[in-house]
Amino acid sequence: MMYGFPQPKQWKGKDLPRVLSRLFDVKDGHTLAVARQHGAYSTLSKVLFDRAPFQIINEVMDSGLRGRGGAGFPTGMKWSFVPRGGGKPVYLVINADEGEPGTFKDRMCMMRDPHLLIEGMINSGYALGVRTAYIYVRGEMLPQIQALNHAIKEAYDAGFLGENIAGSRYSLDIYVHRGAGAYICGEETGLINSLEGFKGQPRLKPPFPAISGAFSAPTVVNNVETIMAVPWILTHGAKAYRQWGTDKSPGSKLFSISGDIAKPGVYEVPLAMPYMEFFELCGGLKGDLLGCIPGGSSAPVLTAEETAKTTMDYESLAAAKSMLGSGAVTPFNTTRDPVLLLQTIARFYAHESCGQCTPCREGTGYVDRVIDSLVDGHGRTGDTDLIKSLADQYEPMTTICAFGPGAAWPVQSFVTKFKSHFEAYIQRNPKHAEARDLVAVRPGAFW
Amino acid sequence: MADLITINVDGKDVQVPPKIQLIEALRTYAKVETPAFCYHPDLSVAGNCRVCLVEFAGPRGFAFGIACHMQTAPGLTVRTQISSDKVKWARRGVMESLLVNHPLDCPICDKAGECTLQENYMSQGRHESRLPDEAGKQYKGGADFRFIDAKGTDRGGKKIDLGPTILLDQERCIVCSRCVRFMDEVAKSSQLGIAGRGDHAYITTFPGKPLTHGYDLNVTDICPVGALTGKHFRFQQRVWTLKSVESIDPSDAFGANLTIEYNNGRVWRLMPRRNSDVNKSWIANSTRLLYQKLAVDRLTDARIAGTDVDLTDGVKAAQSALAAAKKIALVASGHGTIEDNAALLALKDSLGDKAEVFGGSWLPVGSADGIALSGDPVANRAGVKLLGIADNLDQLAERAGEFDAVLVFNHDLWAADAAKAAKLDRIPVRIVLASWIDATVAKATIAVGIRAWAEARGAMVNSKDRVQLMQAGPVVPNPALEPAWRVLACLAGAAWANETDAFKAAGARAPRLAGLTYRTIGPMGAVLPQPALAAAGA
Repeated sequence: MMYGFPQPKQWKGKDLPRVLSRLFDVKDGHTLAVARQHGAYSTLSKVLFDRAPFQIINEVMDSGLRGRGGAGFPTGMKWSFVPRGGGKPVYLVINADEGEPGTFKDRMCMMRDPHLLIEGMINSGYALGVRTAYIYVRGEMLPQIQALNHAIKEAYDAGFLGENIAGSRYSLDIYVHRGAGAYICGEETGLINSLEGFKGQPRLKPPFPAISGAFSAPTVVNNVETIMAVPWILTHGAKAYRQWGTDKSPGSKLFSISGDIAKPGVYEVPLAMPYMEFFELCGGLKGDLLGCIPGGSSAPVLTAEETAKTTMDYESLAAAKSMLGSGAVTPFNTTRDPVLLLQTIARFYAHESCGQCTPCREGTGYVDRVIDSLVDGHGRTGDTDLIKSLADQYEPMTTICAFGPGAAWPVQSFVTKFKSHFEAYIQRNPKHAEARDLVAVRPGAFW
Repeated sequence: MADLITINVDGKDVQVPPKIQLIEALRTYAKVETPAFCYHPDLSVAGNCRVCLVEFAGPRGFAFGIACHMQTAPGLTVRTQISSDKVKWARRGVMESLLVNHPLDCPICDKAGECTLQENYMSQGRHESRLPDEAGKQYKGGADFRFIDAKGTDRGGKKIDLGPTILLDQERCIVCSRCVRFMDEVAKSSQLGIAGRGDHAYITTFPGKPLTHGYDLNVTDICPVGALTGKHFRFQQRVWTLKSVESIDPSDAFGANLTIEYNNGRVWRLMPRRNSDVNKSWIANSTRLLYQKLAVDRLTDARIAGTDVDLTDGVKAAQSALAAAKKIALVASGHGTIEDNAALLALKDSLGDKAEVFGGSWLPVGSADGIALSGDPVANRAGVKLLGIADNLDQLAERAGEFDAVLVFNHDLWAADAAKAAKLDRIPVRIVLASWIDATVAKATIAVGIRAWAEARGAMVNSKDRVQLMQAGPVVPNPALEPAWRVLACLAGAAWANETDAFKAAGARAPRLAGLTYRTIGPMGAVLPQPALAAAGA
């Protein structure tokens, strides 16, 4: 057993959704033969080809499917922005650069059910008029890349990819592109730059990728999990998808849970499940809950009380001033030190900032070093405010991409919500009350 | 110009052209001073320094945006530092971040006085830092940042030798990427790049490769801090002591605009002067380094048969030699100004039928590089042509036997084509007016020193029919030296008081120049009127 499988089929007497995790605990589910026994590629029939592309987009829009990469942008709406008949090819790029610390759902999908991803890409590609699609996979995920390449070869051999898919007039080619393992290449324009062979740095927007993305052509970048939900929606209809979740956050989602939990792993559950119920489903918490990172390391941390009041959907978390993000849930108990947690997170963001925008480039590094000096016992009174105000400067979209806010949120929330822990560190410095020596930096002093 | 549109800046409506960068609209039309480090009008927009942040009205209320990337559109509503405390706060944050790892070694930095970071720091920065060094400053000039690259080259640290012309002080760099974009977009030779990420990103060349390009010194101008400095100017002068006059490139018919920066009677550097119609913001290294010759090998007096004499004696000797000669060849020069050549024509008139004017050059003409060089080393070729002087220097070489005197000014014939020039050796009297002791001066029977290009005022016409002015700096090695036009006018007996008279005399000969004065040409130059229009006006 790995990653918490086999997972419960039912919870509180109701069937759990198996939109994405249908083959997760089926032996050899990644092979075409086994996958077909379970219905893979069944949409490549009149389900797909008897409908016009705009009908597919409308179906996805009606389902309320939202991007599962982190931002939660409505998928159907994103697709509707793509200009049609502009004389340029439209590209579909699958974002499989899963880099958000705590997240490990996409690698599971690609490992266990690559054919569902391919089928989803054919569905989406048909809807968007795509001839060439790319899967941008994080460089470190070698087994996943092998699984994808194997599945793509199988699909080509079976006639599900290439010219005239399954006897239809639609053709699609899929290429797997291996990244070099940079967090920022998960940002869609950074990903496009990297795909084109440039340094993985986000682009200035506008133009947005839907208008001018990869190779200056309209491009749709979607997360692996988002695309994998499409075949189910087309088969069962938008209304069936809305049986789970809330009006604004319908459907099911994969959550990757790690931390102080009995059975860490990837679980598919309906959106809007309360966090405490989810912990129960995952075998229960270990120890007393101190806090929980609800959506990957960039999501603002929740205290135990906030966690208990919150459900796992976009609106509830927005109301709690956090975010669902990529669905990486990391509860931690009272034996953990939030200061050291933040130190790790801050180190990560200082290392991964792409180095373009000044506030993020210099701010993340400085915050990292201030926290380091605090942990090393050199903290001074007022350092928590200093850390918070530095993070404030790269939080409100003063930067090109959302990395700035994503790097600032954990810093702001940790130092605010666990202030006493930080103050305890500061107290360890016997000279904490003394001001740091301010170096005279006024150039006027020299002349 | 396209119709103006209305945008709202700080509650006031401003008329601006559509689809220009907001930062230009703010600076030029709304008169709101907007700082920028990475934005450069002649480079693509990178939008990474973030100091030009403004607030604009979006679908969800006011949000931050950068003025260098946003374009003007009807109804655009922006708030700048004038009406928004949030903008002020954000910019202070950006300034603070920029200065976190910047050494502030202004007292020993060559850029001090013309440093964008320093200017913004003084005008809107936090003067006392709340971010002490001990809490995390990185000094990238230190030993920790030295490393050996893949090709075994020692890199990092301070004063990194990037190539033959440029040194890099990495710790001062604010990673604005202007230099990288210049090499990519203008020089079209991607030799610079940013390696690494975050606050450990740094500017570098490819491992083992130097930065070497005919225009690479331009990166030292566009560097907003003192990270990239030219070896030729490093530690030479504090920039605020320099005074400047406007001039143009005398070594190429492109006529790149530049400023001559001088102090204590010496030129210390030439800087490109932005002219969007001519050279944008760029000049070639070869142009930039011309000043180094201004004080070397100068002909500061006169020579008669190889013996140094006083300048006035040299002019007198030339005068009597011309009077005694029976047939004189006068050689015009495209290296001289319009005024100089007009004076040569006046001399021809005064000598009458025994003098004949020859024009042209023996220097090979290369091809244009599309940046700031046309490939034609004869800067004023079009101006000489405009005065009606034919391109017939080869005829002079063939008919050398007919003449018993030749006068050459500012024209190194013997260096341009020694074989052809050798035919002129048989002319017994060779009068040469020159600024430098060159191959032609060596052949002269009478040589008279004249002022060089940076020391005399005048006009030239570039290869695109644009007449441009050169101003004089007070850097003459010998105050007794005169400009070529004055020596020639003296020989001709013309009573010209100053350059204006000489330019008027040129206008009398060239109808297309007739309507122009120094004032109408101005510092940015003026395109010559079409021949037909000029005739109609006259």
